[in-house]
Amino acid sequence: MNIIYLIRAVAFNSFFESVRNRFFTLFAVFAFTAVYASLLAGVMAVDQEARVLADFGLALIELTALAYALFSASSALLKEAETKTIYLVFSRPVPRWAYLAGKLAGALLTAALMLIVMGGIHLSLLAFRDFGLPDCYAWALAGTFLKLAVIISFAFFVSLFSTSAVSTLVISSVMWTLGHFAAETRFLAEQAPGLKGAAFKILLWLIPNLQIFNARDSAGAACALGPAVFFSAAAWVAASYLAALWMLSRKEF
Amino acid sequence: MTVPAVLFTDVEKTYKRPRLLGAEYHAALKGLSFEIKAGEVTGLLGLNGAGKTTIMKLITGLLFPTAGIVRVFGHSPADSAAKARVGFLPELPYFPPQIKPGEALFYYGRLSGMAGAELAPAVDSSMEKTGLKPHAGKRISEFSKGMLQRLGLAQALLHKPELLVLDEPVSGLDPLAIHDIRALLAGLNSEGRAIFISSHSISEAEKLCSRVLIMVRGSLAATVTREHWESSPGGLEKIFVEAVK
Repeated sequence: MNIIYLIRAVAFNSFFESVRNRFFTLFAVFAFTAVYASLLAGVMAVDQEARVLADFGLALIELTALAYALFSASSALLKEAETKTIYLVFSRPVPRWAYLAGKLAGALLTAALMLIVMGGIHLSLLAFRDFGLPDCYAWALAGTFLKLAVIISFAFFVSLFSTSAVSTLVISSVMWTLGHFAAETRFLAEQAPGLKGAAFKILLWLIPNLQIFNARDSAGAACALGPAVFFSAAAWVAASYLAALWMLSRKEF
Repeated sequence: MTVPAVLFTDVEKTYKRPRLLGAEYHAALKGLSFEIKAGEVTGLLGLNGAGKTTIMKLITGLLFPTAGIVRVFGHSPADSAAKARVGFLPELPYFPPQIKPGEALFYYGRLSGMAGAELAPAVDSSMEKTGLKPHAGKRISEFSKGMLQRLGLAQALLHKPELLVLDEPVSGLDPLAIHDIRALLAGLNSEGRAIFISSHSISEAEKLCSRVLIMVRGSLAATVTREHWESSPGGLEKIFVEAVK
């Protein structure tokens, strides 16, 4: 059996299921909020409207995509188990690793489409207000995608041992928040004495540094994400995938 | 000698339920041994909690035995070689309501390793056999329970399995749907497929099966052949009631 074909089948099924579900409702919410925010920004930001609109829009894109990605990743496997759809999958010659890879690929594909469409809406709005393409825009979206990839794969792993989609959502959100405080945790690890410092150092190994994916934090040409950033994302995705696979291969349905 | 479709040897299955302190164990199957011959229609009867669904899940590799050996056509149920020869219909199967039956069948066909020129005729044939063709244009949300069950059967038949494992295939269906499904299963058996049916309905088992296994609290209480129940006063029902009492 062609494994790539199998992974593609699971990925596209997962992707189209997302598209059929709550996908476009979120786009509408995003578009409405972006338009409304642009009006507010116009009033409040005065001469900084372009900057505010760009940053606000990118933050909104990230949060909207994150919310959807976490909801979808937290419930994807659980829903298939609850509806017994998974019986129809695993009673077939589908290796569990291929199924998991397909589900993950489907979730990443959904996240990528969300970013592209919301980015398009955002840029249209900027163009409508006669603002040009913000600096590092594509890199900012790429960084957001890498962040989403890390947190989606982590959510898949958590969903395999947590008792509900809500607890997966909470744990993954905590991880996402902690990931934005990696520099502060590193500082604490260096400053704290003895056991406390050691605990913070261990924590640094268990939390992905999501700050490195914020392309627009660096000014000018340096905003391009380096190979180390892509490698870091790939390593976290791979680690979460392998941990999830370890859980899934032992799971009974 | 022909390899049996299913072979259970001293199989035990214990469920572990984690508790705040330690865990709670529940033995669902105890020392279970039986076999299902290729081409045979075998029924599985028992009260709720007797272990019927556990047996079905062990055959399809959804559960792993705690002890003992399960073999499907001589392979471990987790092997692709075994799964490729088994079609499974769980009780009350779910399909996404927004799609059409053909789309669901194409997906499950792909998961069974079918592609290209092989896939479309397989979907077409499954829909034809299960009587779904006139409803091909409808969304699954418009399907009745009987039609959903037909779709469940259609996905199980897609890859032309040699063994059909059916968990309560006529549960909750109206008499006409039951009649149609019974005729369909009889037709599939006449093509040489082994069928293993779990059911609460003694009369259905009587009509379809050549042999029935009666489970009581995780153990095999009796194996009854058609000749046996047809020659017994009171038939299969009396044998069943005596076994489970």
